[in-house]
Amino acid sequence: MMCDPRLGCPPPVERLYGYVPNASDVSYLTTVSLRRHPFYPKGLLHRTTSSRGFPEERVRNFSIVAHVDHGKSTLADRLLETTGVIEEGRQVLDHLPVERERGITVKAQSASMVHLHRGHRYLLNLIDTPGHVTSATKCLALWQPLRELCYWWMLNRVFKLKLWLISCSPLRQTSQLFLSSTRLIFLSPTLRESMSSYTTSLDSVLKRAYSFCQISAKHGTGIDKVLSAIIEKIPSPSGSRDKPLCVLLFDSWYDHYRGVVCVVAVKDGSIGVGDEVSSYHTGLSYEVAEVGLLQTKRVPIPRLYSGQVGYVLLGMRNSTEAHVGDTFYHTGSKVTPLPGFIAAKPMVFAGFYPMDQSEYPVLRTALEKLTLNDSSVSVFQDSSVALGQGWRLGFLGLLHMDVFRQRLEEEFDASILVTTPSVPYKVVFRDGSEQTFLNPAQFPEEVYTVEEFREPVVLGTLVTPDEHLGKLLSLCQDRRGVQQELVYMDQSKVLLKYTLPLSEVVIDFNDQVKSLSSGYASFDYEEHGYEPAPLVKLDVMLNGRVVDALASVVHRDKAYSTGKTICGKLKDNIHRQLFEVAIQAAIGKRIIARETVKALRKNVTAKCYGGDITRKMKLLRKQKEGKKKMKQIGNVELSKDAFLSVIQR
Amino acid sequence: MSSAEPISLYVHIPFCETKCPYCDFNTYAAIEPLMPTYVAALKSEIALWGSLLDGPEVHTVFFGGGTPSYLPSEDIRHTMKAITTAFNLAPCAEVTLEANPGDFTADKLAAYLDCGINRLSIGIQSFDDDLLQTLGRRHNAADAVHAYRQAADAGFENISIDLMYGLPYQNIQQWQSTLAQALELAPPHISMYCLTLEGGTPMERWVDQGSMPTPDADLAADMYLMAQDEMRHGRYRHYEISNWAQPGRRSQHNLTYWRNDPYLGVGPGAHSYLGDCRFSAIKSPREYIRRMQSVSPDSCGEPMRAMISSVPVVDEIEQIDTPLEMAETMMMGLRLDEGIGIAGFKERFGEPPSHFYADTLDELERLELLHTQEDALRLTHRGRMLGNEVFSRFFN
Repeated sequence: MMCDPRLGCPPPVERLYGYVPNASDVSYLTTVSLRRHPFYPKGLLHRTTSSRGFPEERVRNFSIVAHVDHGKSTLADRLLETTGVIEEGRQVLDHLPVERERGITVKAQSASMVHLHRGHRYLLNLIDTPGHVTSATKCLALWQPLRELCYWWMLNRVFKLKLWLISCSPLRQTSQLFLSSTRLIFLSPTLRESMSSYTTSLDSVLKRAYSFCQISAKHGTGIDKVLSAIIEKIPSPSGSRDKPLCVLLFDSWYDHYRGVVCVVAVKDGSIGVGDEVSSYHTGLSYEVAEVGLLQTKRVPIPRLYSGQVGYVLLGMRNSTEAHVGDTFYHTGSKVTPLPGFIAAKPMVFAGFYPMDQSEYPVLRTALEKLTLNDSSVSVFQDSSVALGQGWRLGFLGLLHMDVFRQRLEEEFDASILVTTPSVPYKVVFRDGSEQTFLNPAQFPEEVYTVEEFREPVVLGTLVTPDEHLGKLLSLCQDRRGVQQELVYMDQSKVLLKYTLPLSEVVIDFNDQVKSLSSGYASFDYEEHGYEPAPLVKLDVMLNGRVVDALASVVHRDKAYSTGKTICGKLKDNIHRQLFEVAIQAAIGKRIIARETVKALRKNVTAKCYGGDITRKMKLLRKQKEGKKKMKQIGNVELSKDAFLSVIQR
Repeated sequence: MSSAEPISLYVHIPFCETKCPYCDFNTYAAIEPLMPTYVAALKSEIALWGSLLDGPEVHTVFFGGGTPSYLPSEDIRHTMKAITTAFNLAPCAEVTLEANPGDFTADKLAAYLDCGINRLSIGIQSFDDDLLQTLGRRHNAADAVHAYRQAADAGFENISIDLMYGLPYQNIQQWQSTLAQALELAPPHISMYCLTLEGGTPMERWVDQGSMPTPDADLAADMYLMAQDEMRHGRYRHYEISNWAQPGRRSQHNLTYWRNDPYLGVGPGAHSYLGDCRFSAIKSPREYIRRMQSVSPDSCGEPMRAMISSVPVVDEIEQIDTPLEMAETMMMGLRLDEGIGIAGFKERFGEPPSHFYADTLDELERLELLHTQEDALRLTHRGRMLGNEVFSRFFN
């Protein structure tokens, strides 16, 4: 039954031990979505049916990278409009319901466009930067305040292709200079050396920049300048058609009719239909079924040449065969693999259970389908006393998890219960052995065998205008942060570095930073290993019965306040029932918080006569339907909202 | 159905002088000009049913609304005439008319008695002037007492009053005093309804927007308990969840509903339950009148459904299959203190309730919501408070 091996296997040991948190929610979700454009690119298609007409010097590959909500998608829209890929003025909303609702881009893709510049046609490839790219080496932390530079640096390094960056409005918060409009910045490679200190102010960055020009994607002004600048300032890719084929796979998704669609950048050589290629990573060989350019749709062409970016259909049926960062080459030829990516590691784990066990197979199918398109979700089978069979899923962050849950519900109509999220903790036993646990249920019961607990820690970087400094300092303090550094970047901007427990960061830290600073502070973090912490398991009991799905692992000092909060939330979200419901939070046998939901006293239709029977009956039926959507735990009925309330701090 | 089985007759009067903010019944203010044509249409519907059903025995009649007392008494007289012509009205039939306390005159009351009305149901709602204002009623407490005395003096022996509790702003003292005043009047029958905020009513909107406080459910429970206590002391029988009666004064008409027995409703929006069909008439009075003006069907002796659909004002017909009929019998019958008579149930459905609902009944007993006795299934005291928890379990 399990066609996706990830859905059936116990967690591989290296997967647990080798855990390094690094990618953040924000980076995962800040890539540009192009899939939102459903229009068929008529004009472009005819002009580009052969990509042979675009030698390397007529190709430009670039990415748009910037902080969340800084208009990446808008700029992409304008570029596509100007080059005729999509109709002008017809901005189409993100097509997933969750994207529309949240105004964020969940699933991103790449697109090619053609631009006429000084009498020549150029093939411009707007390359989606998958979230995975953000997994970089530690030294990059220095660059966090100027995040777009990191991207540039990374792309250049990782792709080994000449990929340059357009950054639109870098860090609105860090400089008033950028408040008013979107700008285009090009940075020369030599600038990297001069940026060795993060205290370099943006002004001086700009002075050293190749050039920058003022545009507004929102109003559609200066877009031509962007296109010209891309062609003039960005060097063409460095590969050669004459060398053996070397292809980098940098994104993939699952198409129900065609199988896995691989998005690739061709470094050297060319790839076409019928070629036999091998994966460096898996060693598997494939016959190329189709190659093409990505516009708003897939546009098949005979061959992709070096420097070009497009898609390849290899007849893969399982998305696990498509490793982001893998190198493909003609079977039998000898190539040096491209460096590839460091895979994103899940940092937040939560149990996903069907509301009703009979829906288990349905949910399994839905999970399989959705994880095909989001390989950053890790999947382990799990079970709970209260909730039955389910899964423990690992996500890059809480937003990622929330979006995933919402997509399951909206796109697959799945009814899911999500348990309290947790981060991967470690326990060191007295005998020296060590174990990582992703689930509060795995918290060791025999505490005397434990030498110490360790929790994952991150190094957080905050950049904030100094008027918000005080509030952010106390937030960090409150979240058990330890200050590492506090530097004034210029007269009014402060850079803060804190080590923070991951568990304190994943839930709502970023929201807090934004709300305390009216949106002006920015926060990012990277892994910082594990540190000892006095952890306890916080159980939640309903009428004396432990509900394993509501248990969490918390720092000892936070146990009381967390227990109180959880009990309070449950009280607000458990409807009154036939019996009183006692909600208790406990550490071991010790009760640390209690709330009571009083028994329902009166629930009876006052008037019921001839004219009312049909209506009253419908009401009763509805009431009963509502009950079916409840999870019965002991004699207590729990709604999905009650579970969710515990998660949302 | 055989014409041997007596039916109840409900007559809908969709007129009100003003519409109360909590009311979601099919009733309208400011359509008084329709009254004459409406009564004509009503009379032809009555005549039509009389001929279709072959003049069955009618053992209760209920003029509800709306405000039947708002209609000129002549119109009531004509309607009664149409009923006695079309149906075989039983000699001791209970004939009720709903009335507003402000509408009575001595002449009107005499006319009612004269044409055969023998029971009045007076919408008093409260003996607290402030609360009456909250409810948007046009009368005050003194009017209510006066109206009651007037009706009693005119010769009505069987009078029911309606009271409401669980109201916004209502406190337990106000309720206690209303109960005391009701007991002082000592009407033969009292209905006490907990306010239900019905969707789409102005009052629901006010509460939703916060301009009116949400009634406290626990306080309403206390008020209900208080009512039960007070009525017991007043020697009333608590014979249905919201109804109390002195001996021999239960509402015969409403018992028909609770026993899930057949009834015919005439007028716009009225519901009927005949044979295995429940159906309702179109709700718009204008459309009702229009359709009744062009009526000439002759479908006597046809199957029930065909016959019903031949009536031009019938809007929705719902076929009631046996499982549904059974569930509805449970839902309605358990509202009564007499409960579900096991023998009667067996006669109607072939087997006793335990045959169909063994697990449900066990569970309800365990939850102390229901107890099974020799002769009948009855709600416990707790079950009465939590009736919907019981009823919903009989529906699948």
